[in-house]
Amino acid sequence: MQIQVDRGAGQISMSGEFTFTDHAPFKQMVSELFATTGKSVILDLSKLDFIDSAGLGMLLLARDEAKKNDRDLILRRPSGQVKRMFGVTKFSTLFTIED
Amino acid sequence: MFKWRQNSAAVQTLAEPEAPPLAPVAPAEPARHDELMQRWISFAAMQQRVIRTLVSEIQQTSAVVETEADQLSGRFQRLAVCAEQQTARVDDLSRLAIGIEVDGEIVPIDRIAGLLEETLSDVVEKILMLSKDAMQMVYALSELNSNVDRVDTCMVELSKINKTTNMLALNARIEAERAGKAGAAFRVVAGEVRELSGATERLSVDMESELKAVTDGIASGHETLKRVATIDMSHNLMAKDRLEVLMAALIKRSASLASVVAAAMKEAEVISADVSAMVTGIQFQDRTRQRLEHVVDTLHVVDEALDELKVATAEALPPTAEGQSLDTEWVKKLLDRFTLGDLRARFVAQILDGEQPVEAVAAESASASSGTIELF
Repeated sequence: MQIQVDRGAGQISMSGEFTFTDHAPFKQMVSELFATTGKSVILDLSKLDFIDSAGLGMLLLARDEAKKNDRDLILRRPSGQVKRMFGVTKFSTLFTIED
Repeated sequence: MFKWRQNSAAVQTLAEPEAPPLAPVAPAEPARHDELMQRWISFAAMQQRVIRTLVSEIQQTSAVVETEADQLSGRFQRLAVCAEQQTARVDDLSRLAIGIEVDGEIVPIDRIAGLLEETLSDVVEKILMLSKDAMQMVYALSELNSNVDRVDTCMVELSKINKTTNMLALNARIEAERAGKAGAAFRVVAGEVRELSGATERLSVDMESELKAVTDGIASGHETLKRVATIDMSHNLMAKDRLEVLMAALIKRSASLASVVAAAMKEAEVISADVSAMVTGIQFQDRTRQRLEHVVDTLHVVDEALDELKVATAEALPPTAEGQSLDTEWVKKLLDRFTLGDLRARFVAQILDGEQPVEAVAAESASASSGTIELF
């Protein structure tokens, strides 16, 4: 998975496949972003092709972290397999998902 | 249309109220009157044959209709039983279409789908919880690993300090030896410091050993968690998606089936009701038979009346040398109107040839064996 961070906009753009092997850089990027000021943190998933159950678990941990920091975590433009996974797991009841 | 009507015009004219009073009877009139009476007797005889033939036909037809109606009633009653059984089967089918029988209870398809959805949602939730907890442990172990790395660094620093301390103790011992007797106390302190350094070194080795065990344990735990966390359960999650699609299709099919069965049930009920109504309708054949018996009885009365009148008229007339011949012309015209060959043959035999009508029962069996329908 490739990660691009826009600290000014409070946004992380993810592309490729989000799996267990990405846990260290993802955690670091999320921690960095939560350290900045702002209300929302946006994960742009428009170029993310695949997510596994570990990836879903990491998103849930990021959500807990956002709550601790009183921040909103927004998942933006999921598509394909990622969108179907969000549908099956009813992520829309846990996250703000923007199309 | 018959000849006798034209010939009786004079008699009808005499009966009209507006007709002039009858003229004195001329000598020729009695002969004319007698001739007319003879013709009337002849016509009455022919009428009686017609009446008896009609009576015979009515009785035969009534018997045939009764037999056929009985058979038809039997068939319809069997049909009614079949229709009722069919309705019961369709009713059973409708229950099967609604759901599946489990322990004697019909569980609707949509409820099964709901239970499956509930179960799968629970499984999905647990998979998510497991994934989240696994990743949280991975994070915790990574953090612990960092802490152990920092402790390891401290141990390296401690080892360096210990080496320096040991060197200091060794130098102090050398200096004490140089000082001779004056350095005896210093020599004891140097020895103690060296002992202390040795003890610290041994402790450091033990700690490194323990730390290595901790590091190895963390690494092992991390590997185990990695194996757990990298089990891709996305296919299992997507199975819920596929099952939901299948269940939706199953519910749709069940609804279609229920709709078809409901329509079939209505039709079966209509058929059952129609057949029952037909069975009831056929039973009214008894009333038809009773009506025909009245008609036959009436015709018998008319026949007897004609007989009496014919005898009385014949007695009032002078005897004739030769009997009046039967007036067959109008009968032939009547028979020309018949389109059924066997009926016409019977009328010819009984009216023109004077044969006696066939008994009803015998005719019934004959018609039943040879068939009563003539196609034309």
